[in-house]
Amino acid sequence: MNPFPRLLVICTLVLGAVLGACEGAVIPAVGQLEGVVLQTPAAKAVFTLTDTGGRPYDFSLETKGRLTFLYFGYTNCPDICPVHLAQLAEVFGQLPEVRRNSTVVFVTVDPERDTPEVIRSFLDAFSSDFVGLSGSPEEIEAAQRAAGVPPAVKEGGGEKYTIGHAGQVLVYAPDGLGYSVYPFGTRQSDWIHDLPILLERVES
Amino acid sequence: MNISWWCTALSEPWSWTFRAYPGVWLVVAALAGGYAVAVRSNRDVEGLSLRETGFFIAGLLVFWVASDWPLGTLGAGYLASAHMVQYVLYVLVAAPLLWLGTPEWLARRVLASTGVYRAGRSLRRFPLLMGAIFNVTLILSHTPIAVDTLRPTQFGSFAMDALWLLSGLALWAPIVGSITEFTQRSYPARMLYLFFTTGVVTILPASFLTFASLPLYRTYELAPRVFGLTAINDQQIAGLIMKLSAVPIIWPVLAGMMYRWATSERASA
Repeated sequence: MNPFPRLLVICTLVLGAVLGACEGAVIPAVGQLEGVVLQTPAAKAVFTLTDTGGRPYDFSLETKGRLTFLYFGYTNCPDICPVHLAQLAEVFGQLPEVRRNSTVVFVTVDPERDTPEVIRSFLDAFSSDFVGLSGSPEEIEAAQRAAGVPPAVKEGGGEKYTIGHAGQVLVYAPDGLGYSVYPFGTRQSDWIHDLPILLERVES
Repeated sequence: MNISWWCTALSEPWSWTFRAYPGVWLVVAALAGGYAVAVRSNRDVEGLSLRETGFFIAGLLVFWVASDWPLGTLGAGYLASAHMVQYVLYVLVAAPLLWLGTPEWLARRVLASTGVYRAGRSLRRFPLLMGAIFNVTLILSHTPIAVDTLRPTQFGSFAMDALWLLSGLALWAPIVGSITEFTQRSYPARMLYLFFTTGVVTILPASFLTFASLPLYRTYELAPRVFGLTAINDQQIAGLIMKLSAVPIIWPVLAGMMYRWATSERASA
Protein backbone atom coordinates (compact mmCIF):
# COMPACT_ATOMS: atom_id res chain seq x y z
CA MET A 1 0.00 0.00 0.00
CA ASN A 2 1.23 3.42 -0.91
CA PRO A 3 1.95 5.22 2.39
CA PHE A 4 1.56 8.67 0.82
CA PRO A 5 -2.23 9.12 1.25
CA ARG A 6 -1.98 8.10 4.94
CA LEU A 7 0.87 10.57 5.48
CA LEU A 8 -1.13 13.28 3.77
CA VAL A 9 -4.09 12.63 6.05
CA ILE A 10 -1.90 12.73 9.16
CA CYS A 11 -0.20 15.95 8.03
CA THR A 12 -3.55 17.54 7.28
CA LEU A 13 -4.90 16.56 10.70
CA VAL A 14 -1.81 17.88 12.50
CA LEU A 15 -1.88 21.11 10.51
CA GLY A 16 -5.59 21.49 11.22
CA ALA A 17 -5.03 20.95 14.93
CA VAL A 18 -2.18 23.48 15.02
CA LEU A 19 -4.16 26.08 13.10
CA GLY A 20 -7.19 25.46 15.28
CA ALA A 21 -5.09 25.93 18.40
CA CYS A 22 -3.57 29.11 16.96
CA GLU A 23 -6.98 30.50 16.10
CA GLY A 24 -8.18 29.78 19.60
CA ALA A 25 -5.19 31.56 21.06
CA VAL A 26 -5.46 34.65 18.85
CA ILE A 27 -9.21 35.09 18.96
CA PRO A 28 -10.69 34.42 22.36
CA ALA A 29 -14.21 33.05 22.38
CA VAL A 30 -16.97 35.62 22.39
CA GLY A 31 -18.39 33.77 25.36
CA GLN A 32 -15.68 35.47 27.40
CA LEU A 33 -17.11 38.91 26.70
CA GLU A 34 -18.26 41.10 29.56
CA GLY A 35 -21.13 42.55 27.51
CA VAL A 36 -24.48 40.84 27.11
CA VAL A 37 -23.61 38.07 24.68
CA LEU A 38 -26.20 37.35 22.01
CA GLN A 39 -27.20 33.73 21.58
CA THR A 40 -27.01 34.11 17.84
CA PRO A 41 -24.68 36.74 16.38
CA ALA A 42 -26.68 39.53 14.77
CA ALA A 43 -26.04 40.65 11.23
CA LYS A 44 -25.14 44.30 10.86
CA ALA A 45 -28.16 46.54 10.41
CA VAL A 46 -28.73 47.82 6.92
CA PHE A 47 -30.07 51.36 6.60
CA THR A 48 -29.19 54.69 5.09
CA LEU A 49 -29.65 57.99 6.92
CA THR A 50 -28.16 61.46 6.60
CA ASP A 51 -24.99 62.52 8.38
CA THR A 52 -24.38 65.90 9.99
CA GLY A 53 -22.79 67.14 6.78
CA GLY A 54 -26.01 66.47 4.90
CA ARG A 55 -24.64 63.48 2.99
CA PRO A 56 -26.34 60.10 2.77
CA TYR A 57 -24.70 57.57 5.05
CA ASP A 58 -25.08 53.90 4.20
CA PHE A 59 -24.42 52.43 7.63
CA SER A 60 -23.52 48.94 6.52
CA LEU A 61 -21.27 50.09 3.70
CA GLU A 62 -19.53 52.97 5.50
CA THR A 63 -18.62 50.84 8.48
CA LYS A 64 -17.62 47.71 6.58
CA GLY A 65 -14.57 46.00 8.09
CA ARG A 66 -14.54 48.28 11.14
CA LEU A 67 -15.44 47.76 14.76
CA THR A 68 -18.74 49.61 14.82
CA PHE A 69 -20.75 51.07 17.65
CA LEU A 70 -24.37 51.90 16.96
CA TYR A 71 -26.37 53.88 19.45
CA PHE A 72 -29.85 55.36 19.21
CA GLY A 73 -30.26 58.37 21.45
CA TYR A 74 -30.96 62.10 21.53
CA THR A 75 -29.02 65.15 22.50
CA ASN A 76 -31.46 66.28 25.21
CA CYS A 77 -31.17 62.90 26.90
CA PRO A 78 -30.68 63.70 30.58
CA ASP A 79 -28.75 60.64 31.61
CA ILE A 80 -27.64 57.58 29.68
CA CYS A 81 -26.79 58.99 26.23
CA PRO A 82 -24.05 61.39 27.35
CA VAL A 83 -22.67 58.84 29.80
CA HIS A 84 -22.45 56.10 27.14
CA LEU A 85 -20.66 58.45 24.73
CA ALA A 86 -18.33 59.78 27.42
CA GLN A 87 -17.46 56.23 28.42
CA LEU A 88 -16.63 55.31 24.82
CA ALA A 89 -14.56 58.45 24.28
CA GLU A 90 -12.62 57.80 27.49
CA VAL A 91 -12.06 54.13 26.64
CA PHE A 92 -10.76 55.07 23.19
CA GLY A 93 -8.21 57.27 24.90
CA GLN A 94 -6.76 54.12 26.42
CA LEU A 95 -7.06 51.92 23.33
CA PRO A 96 -5.56 53.80 20.36
CA GLU A 97 -5.54 50.67 18.19
CA VAL A 98 -9.26 50.18 18.78
CA ARG A 99 -9.95 53.87 18.17
CA ARG A 100 -8.16 53.79 14.81
CA ASN A 101 -10.27 50.88 13.66
CA SER A 102 -13.62 51.90 15.08
CA THR A 103 -16.59 53.97 14.05
CA VAL A 104 -19.12 55.26 16.54
CA VAL A 105 -22.48 56.03 14.99
CA PHE A 106 -25.05 58.00 16.94
CA VAL A 107 -28.54 58.02 15.44
CA THR A 108 -30.89 60.59 16.85
CA VAL A 109 -34.37 59.44 17.81
CA ASP A 110 -35.43 63.07 18.17
CA PRO A 111 -35.11 64.53 14.65
CA GLU A 112 -37.49 67.32 15.63
CA ARG A 113 -35.01 68.98 18.00
CA ASP A 114 -31.77 67.39 16.88
CA THR A 115 -30.75 69.37 13.83
CA PRO A 116 -27.45 68.39 12.17
CA GLU A 117 -25.75 71.34 13.93
CA VAL A 118 -27.11 70.32 17.32
CA ILE A 119 -26.00 66.72 16.83
CA ARG A 120 -22.54 67.78 15.66
CA SER A 121 -22.02 70.10 18.58
CA PHE A 122 -23.27 67.41 21.01
CA LEU A 123 -20.95 64.74 19.59
CA ASP A 124 -17.96 67.06 19.36
CA ALA A 125 -18.07 67.35 23.14
CA PHE A 126 -17.01 63.70 23.19
CA SER A 127 -15.16 63.19 19.93
CA SER A 128 -15.20 64.87 16.56
CA ASP A 129 -14.78 61.38 15.04
CA PHE A 130 -18.20 60.24 16.19
CA VAL A 131 -20.70 60.08 13.34
CA GLY A 132 -24.13 61.61 13.83
CA LEU A 133 -27.09 60.54 11.75
CA SER A 134 -30.63 61.75 11.32
CA GLY A 135 -33.54 61.30 8.98
CA SER A 136 -37.29 61.43 8.84
CA PRO A 137 -39.16 59.80 11.75
CA GLU A 138 -40.06 56.92 9.46
CA GLU A 139 -36.46 56.39 8.35
CA ILE A 140 -35.24 56.46 11.93
CA GLU A 141 -37.90 54.00 13.01
CA ALA A 142 -36.91 51.71 10.15
CA ALA A 143 -33.26 51.97 11.20
CA GLN A 144 -34.16 50.95 14.75
CA ARG A 145 -36.13 47.98 13.49
CA ALA A 146 -33.25 47.02 11.23
CA ALA A 147 -30.95 47.07 14.25
CA GLY A 148 -33.38 44.95 16.24
CA VAL A 149 -34.19 47.53 18.91
CA PRO A 150 -37.66 48.76 19.81
CA PRO A 151 -38.54 52.11 18.23
CA ALA A 152 -38.20 55.11 20.53
CA VAL A 153 -41.33 56.58 22.08
CA LYS A 154 -41.95 60.24 22.86
CA GLU A 155 -42.87 60.76 26.52
CA GLY A 156 -44.61 63.88 27.81
CA GLY A 157 -45.61 66.99 25.96
CA GLY A 158 -44.48 70.55 25.55
CA GLU A 159 -40.95 71.56 24.73
CA LYS A 160 -39.29 69.56 27.45
CA TYR A 161 -40.48 66.14 26.42
CA THR A 162 -38.27 63.12 26.89
CA ILE A 163 -37.90 60.05 24.73
CA GLY A 164 -37.91 56.45 25.83
CA HIS A 165 -35.37 54.62 23.72
CA ALA A 166 -33.14 51.57 23.63
CA GLY A 167 -30.37 52.10 26.13
CA GLN A 168 -27.82 49.64 24.83
CA VAL A 169 -24.88 50.23 22.53
CA LEU A 170 -24.86 47.72 19.69
CA VAL A 171 -21.38 46.66 18.70
CA TYR A 172 -20.52 44.99 15.43
CA ALA A 173 -17.15 43.31 15.01
CA PRO A 174 -15.14 43.92 11.81
CA ASP A 175 -16.63 40.68 10.44
CA GLY A 176 -20.00 42.46 10.34
CA LEU A 177 -21.57 40.51 13.16
CA GLY A 178 -22.85 41.71 16.52
CA TYR A 179 -21.82 39.29 19.24
CA SER A 180 -22.82 41.33 22.26
CA VAL A 181 -24.63 44.48 23.32
CA TYR A 182 -23.72 46.90 26.09
CA PRO A 183 -26.47 48.24 28.29
CA PHE A 184 -26.22 51.31 30.49
CA GLY A 185 -24.01 50.45 33.43
CA THR A 186 -21.22 48.98 31.31
CA ARG A 187 -17.97 49.89 33.03
CA GLN A 188 -14.85 51.08 31.26
CA SER A 189 -13.15 47.92 32.47
CA ASP A 190 -15.77 45.88 30.55
CA TRP A 191 -15.18 47.85 27.37
CA ILE A 192 -11.43 47.57 27.69
CA HIS A 193 -11.76 43.83 28.15
CA ASP A 194 -14.12 43.27 25.23
CA LEU A 195 -13.05 45.64 22.49
CA PRO A 196 -9.69 44.07 21.65
CA ILE A 197 -11.44 40.69 21.48
CA LEU A 198 -14.09 42.02 19.13
CA LEU A 199 -11.54 43.83 17.00
CA GLU A 200 -9.90 40.48 16.26
CA ARG A 201 -13.13 39.15 14.77
CA VAL A 202 -12.31 39.90 11.18
CA GLU A 203 -14.06 38.57 8.12
CA SER A 204 -12.44 35.34 7.00
CA MET B 1 -37.95 72.65 44.19
CA ASN B 2 -36.03 69.38 44.58
CA ILE B 3 -36.15 68.14 48.16
CA SER B 4 -34.71 65.02 49.72
CA TRP B 5 -33.56 64.07 53.21
CA TRP B 6 -29.85 63.68 52.51
CA CYS B 7 -27.55 64.05 49.50
CA THR B 8 -27.43 60.97 47.34
CA ALA B 9 -26.24 59.86 43.90
CA LEU B 10 -28.47 61.16 41.10
CA SER B 11 -28.77 60.11 37.48
CA GLU B 12 -29.79 63.48 36.09
CA PRO B 13 -27.19 65.91 34.73
CA TRP B 14 -25.57 68.23 37.22
CA SER B 15 -27.13 71.67 37.39
CA TRP B 16 -26.70 74.66 39.65
CA THR B 17 -30.39 74.51 40.52
CA PHE B 18 -30.71 74.56 44.29
CA ARG B 19 -31.65 71.30 46.02
CA ALA B 20 -32.94 71.26 49.58
CA TYR B 21 -31.75 68.69 52.11
CA PRO B 22 -33.84 69.11 55.27
CA GLY B 23 -31.97 66.23 56.91
CA VAL B 24 -28.75 68.21 56.78
CA TRP B 25 -30.44 71.29 58.22
CA LEU B 26 -32.02 69.17 60.96
CA VAL B 27 -28.68 67.67 61.99
CA VAL B 28 -26.99 71.08 62.00
CA ALA B 29 -29.91 72.57 63.95
CA ALA B 30 -29.87 69.66 66.43
CA LEU B 31 -26.13 70.07 67.05
CA ALA B 32 -26.42 73.85 67.41
CA GLY B 33 -29.55 73.59 69.55
CA GLY B 34 -28.07 70.90 71.78
CA TYR B 35 -24.94 72.99 72.27
CA ALA B 36 -26.93 76.13 73.09
CA VAL B 37 -29.21 74.35 75.55
CA ALA B 38 -26.29 72.61 77.27
CA VAL B 39 -24.36 75.86 77.59
CA ARG B 40 -27.39 77.81 78.83
CA SER B 41 -28.25 75.19 81.44
CA ASN B 42 -24.67 75.21 82.74
CA ARG B 43 -24.01 78.93 82.62
CA ASP B 44 -24.02 79.24 86.42
CA VAL B 45 -21.64 76.33 86.89
CA GLU B 46 -18.96 76.88 84.33
CA GLY B 47 -18.26 79.53 81.78
CA LEU B 48 -17.83 79.23 78.08
CA SER B 49 -15.31 81.40 76.29
CA LEU B 50 -16.14 83.30 73.15
CA ARG B 51 -13.26 81.45 71.53
CA GLU B 52 -14.86 78.08 72.23
CA THR B 53 -18.21 79.22 70.89
CA GLY B 54 -16.48 80.54 67.78
CA PHE B 55 -14.70 77.27 67.17
CA PHE B 56 -17.90 75.28 67.59
CA ILE B 57 -19.84 77.52 65.21
CA ALA B 58 -16.99 77.35 62.67
CA GLY B 59 -16.91 73.55 62.94
CA LEU B 60 -20.64 73.37 62.48
CA LEU B 61 -20.49 75.67 59.46
CA VAL B 62 -17.80 73.55 57.84
CA PHE B 63 -19.89 70.42 58.49
CA TRP B 64 -22.88 72.17 56.93
CA VAL B 65 -20.97 73.32 53.84
CA ALA B 66 -19.54 69.82 53.34
CA SER B 67 -22.93 68.13 53.68
CA ASP B 68 -25.34 70.46 51.91
CA TRP B 69 -25.90 71.55 48.31
CA PRO B 70 -23.84 72.05 46.19
CA LEU B 71 -20.79 70.23 47.59
CA GLY B 72 -22.85 67.48 49.22
CA THR B 73 -24.73 66.83 45.98
CA LEU B 74 -21.57 66.79 43.87
CA GLY B 75 -19.77 64.55 46.33
CA ALA B 76 -22.61 62.10 46.75
CA GLY B 77 -23.09 61.31 43.11
CA TYR B 78 -21.11 63.25 40.56
CA LEU B 79 -17.45 63.73 41.38
CA ALA B 80 -15.04 61.60 43.32
CA SER B 81 -12.98 64.76 43.81
CA ALA B 82 -15.91 66.52 45.49
CA HIS B 83 -16.44 63.42 47.62
CA MET B 84 -12.80 63.75 48.73
CA VAL B 85 -13.14 67.46 49.50
CA GLN B 86 -16.11 66.52 51.70
CA TYR B 87 -14.02 63.89 53.45
CA VAL B 88 -11.19 66.33 54.11
CA LEU B 89 -13.58 68.97 55.42
CA TYR B 90 -15.27 66.53 57.81
CA VAL B 91 -12.15 64.86 59.07
CA LEU B 92 -9.46 67.52 59.01
CA VAL B 93 -11.42 70.73 59.49
CA ALA B 94 -14.85 70.25 61.08
CA ALA B 95 -13.79 67.59 63.59
CA PRO B 96 -10.93 69.52 65.26
CA LEU B 97 -12.96 72.72 65.28
CA LEU B 98 -15.86 70.94 67.00
CA TRP B 99 -13.44 69.56 69.60
CA LEU B 100 -11.90 72.97 70.19
CA GLY B 101 -15.37 74.41 70.65
CA THR B 102 -16.50 71.81 73.14
CA PRO B 103 -15.75 72.60 76.80
CA GLU B 104 -14.52 69.75 78.95
CA TRP B 105 -17.68 69.46 81.05
CA LEU B 106 -19.81 69.19 77.91
CA ALA B 107 -17.52 66.61 76.32
CA ARG B 108 -17.58 64.55 79.55
CA ARG B 109 -21.35 64.74 79.72
CA VAL B 110 -21.81 63.67 76.08
CA LEU B 111 -19.25 60.87 76.25
CA ALA B 112 -20.54 59.60 79.61
CA SER B 113 -24.10 59.45 78.31
CA THR B 114 -23.00 57.38 75.31
CA GLY B 115 -20.72 55.03 77.24
CA VAL B 116 -17.72 56.13 75.20
CA TYR B 117 -15.97 57.61 78.23
CA ARG B 118 -15.96 54.34 80.16
CA ALA B 119 -14.75 52.41 77.13
CA GLY B 120 -12.01 54.98 76.50
CA ARG B 121 -10.87 54.93 80.14
CA SER B 122 -10.50 51.18 80.11
CA LEU B 123 -8.14 51.34 77.16
CA ARG B 124 -4.50 51.82 77.95
CA ARG B 125 -3.48 52.77 74.48
CA PHE B 126 -6.22 55.20 73.65
CA PRO B 127 -4.36 57.15 70.93
CA LEU B 128 -3.42 53.93 69.15
CA LEU B 129 -7.05 52.91 69.11
CA MET B 130 -8.18 56.31 67.84
CA GLY B 131 -5.54 56.21 65.11
CA ALA B 132 -6.69 52.72 64.15
CA ILE B 133 -10.35 53.77 64.07
CA PHE B 134 -9.49 56.70 61.82
CA ASN B 135 -7.40 54.69 59.41
CA VAL B 136 -9.70 51.68 59.22
CA THR B 137 -12.60 54.04 58.48
CA LEU B 138 -10.46 55.80 55.89
CA ILE B 139 -9.64 52.55 54.09
CA LEU B 140 -13.04 50.88 54.33
CA SER B 141 -15.12 53.94 53.48
CA HIS B 142 -13.11 54.48 50.30
CA THR B 143 -13.38 50.96 48.96
CA PRO B 144 -15.45 50.80 45.77
CA ILE B 145 -17.95 48.45 47.39
CA ALA B 146 -18.58 50.86 50.28
CA VAL B 147 -18.91 53.93 48.07
CA ASP B 148 -21.06 52.19 45.47
CA THR B 149 -23.31 50.65 48.10
CA LEU B 150 -23.74 53.64 50.39
CA ARG B 151 -23.79 56.60 48.03
CA PRO B 152 -26.87 55.64 45.98
CA THR B 153 -29.15 55.71 49.04
CA GLN B 154 -29.92 58.62 51.32
CA PHE B 155 -29.44 56.58 54.47
CA GLY B 156 -26.20 55.10 53.17
CA SER B 157 -24.90 58.51 52.22
CA PHE B 158 -25.85 59.88 55.63
CA ALA B 159 -24.14 56.91 57.31
CA MET B 160 -20.96 57.56 55.34
CA ASP B 161 -20.92 61.26 56.24
CA ALA B 162 -21.62 60.49 59.91
CA LEU B 163 -18.91 57.85 59.98
CA TRP B 164 -16.41 60.30 58.53
CA LEU B 165 -17.21 62.96 61.11
CA LEU B 166 -16.97 60.43 63.95
CA SER B 167 -13.68 59.09 62.65
CA GLY B 168 -12.42 62.67 62.48
CA LEU B 169 -13.45 63.25 66.10
CA ALA B 170 -11.63 60.03 67.02
CA LEU B 171 -8.51 61.20 65.14
CA TRP B 172 -8.34 64.54 66.92
CA ALA B 173 -9.37 63.35 70.42
CA PRO B 174 -5.77 62.75 71.53
CA ILE B 175 -4.66 66.11 70.10
CA VAL B 176 -7.32 68.74 70.74
CA GLY B 177 -9.94 66.68 72.59
CA SER B 178 -11.36 68.35 75.67
CA ILE B 179 -10.94 65.35 77.96
CA THR B 180 -7.49 65.51 79.45
CA GLU B 181 -7.23 61.79 80.23
CA PHE B 182 -7.57 61.04 76.54
CA THR B 183 -5.15 63.59 75.18
CA GLN B 184 -1.48 63.09 74.57
CA ARG B 185 0.47 65.12 77.11
CA SER B 186 3.79 65.64 75.38
CA TYR B 187 4.22 67.58 72.17
CA PRO B 188 6.57 65.03 70.56
CA ALA B 189 4.01 62.28 71.18
CA ARG B 190 1.27 64.44 69.68
CA MET B 191 3.33 65.24 66.63
CA LEU B 192 4.29 61.63 66.06
CA TYR B 193 0.68 60.54 66.50
CA LEU B 194 -0.63 63.11 64.04
CA PHE B 195 2.10 62.45 61.50
CA PHE B 196 1.66 58.68 61.51
CA THR B 197 -2.12 58.57 61.67
CA THR B 198 -2.70 61.04 58.87
CA GLY B 199 0.38 60.67 56.72
CA VAL B 200 1.15 56.99 56.33
CA VAL B 201 -1.91 54.82 55.69
CA THR B 202 -3.51 57.59 53.61
CA ILE B 203 -0.88 57.05 50.93
CA LEU B 204 -2.34 53.64 50.11
CA PRO B 205 -5.89 54.60 49.00
CA ALA B 206 -4.64 57.91 47.63
CA SER B 207 -2.15 56.11 45.40
CA PHE B 208 -4.77 53.67 44.21
CA LEU B 209 -6.95 56.58 43.18
CA THR B 210 -4.15 58.55 41.58
CA PHE B 211 -2.49 55.76 39.65
CA ALA B 212 -5.39 53.47 38.70
CA SER B 213 -5.78 53.29 34.95
CA LEU B 214 -9.55 52.83 35.20
CA PRO B 215 -12.25 54.44 37.31
CA LEU B 216 -12.69 52.53 40.57
CA TYR B 217 -16.10 53.81 41.64
CA ARG B 218 -19.12 52.82 39.61
CA THR B 219 -21.06 55.73 41.17
CA TYR B 220 -18.80 58.40 39.69
CA GLU B 221 -17.89 56.54 36.51
CA LEU B 222 -21.50 56.22 35.44
CA ALA B 223 -22.57 59.66 36.62
CA PRO B 224 -23.20 62.44 34.13
CA ARG B 225 -19.90 64.21 33.60
CA VAL B 226 -19.42 67.55 35.31
CA PHE B 227 -17.19 70.51 34.36
CA GLY B 228 -15.80 68.50 31.41
CA LEU B 229 -13.86 66.18 33.69
CA THR B 230 -13.38 62.60 32.57
CA ALA B 231 -14.04 59.91 35.16
CA ILE B 232 -10.37 59.03 35.40
CA ASN B 233 -9.19 62.64 35.73
CA ASP B 234 -11.74 63.24 38.43
CA GLN B 235 -10.48 60.17 40.27
CA GLN B 236 -6.88 61.32 39.95
CA ILE B 237 -7.80 64.70 41.41
CA ALA B 238 -9.55 62.87 44.27
CA GLY B 239 -6.37 60.91 44.94
CA LEU B 240 -4.27 64.07 44.94
CA ILE B 241 -6.70 65.80 47.31
CA MET B 242 -6.47 62.85 49.67
CA LYS B 243 -2.70 62.76 49.44
CA LEU B 244 -1.99 66.50 49.58
CA SER B 245 -4.68 67.69 51.96
CA ALA B 246 -2.34 67.10 54.87
CA VAL B 247 0.04 69.75 53.54
CA PRO B 248 -2.08 72.85 54.20
CA ILE B 249 -3.80 71.40 57.28
CA ILE B 250 -1.65 68.91 59.17
CA TRP B 251 1.75 70.48 58.54
CA PRO B 252 0.82 73.90 59.96
CA VAL B 253 -0.60 72.10 63.01
CA LEU B 254 2.65 70.16 63.37
CA ALA B 255 4.62 73.37 62.98
CA GLY B 256 2.48 75.04 65.65
CA MET B 257 3.08 72.14 68.02
CA MET B 258 6.78 72.28 67.33
CA TYR B 259 6.80 75.98 68.16
CA ARG B 260 4.87 75.43 71.39
CA TRP B 261 7.14 72.59 72.36
CA ALA B 262 10.20 74.73 71.79
CA THR B 263 8.64 77.58 73.77
CA SER B 264 7.74 75.33 76.69
CA GLU B 265 11.20 73.77 76.69
CA ARG B 266 12.79 77.20 76.72
CA ALA B 267 10.54 78.32 79.55
CA SER B 268 11.34 75.28 81.67
CA ALA B 269 15.08 75.55 81.00
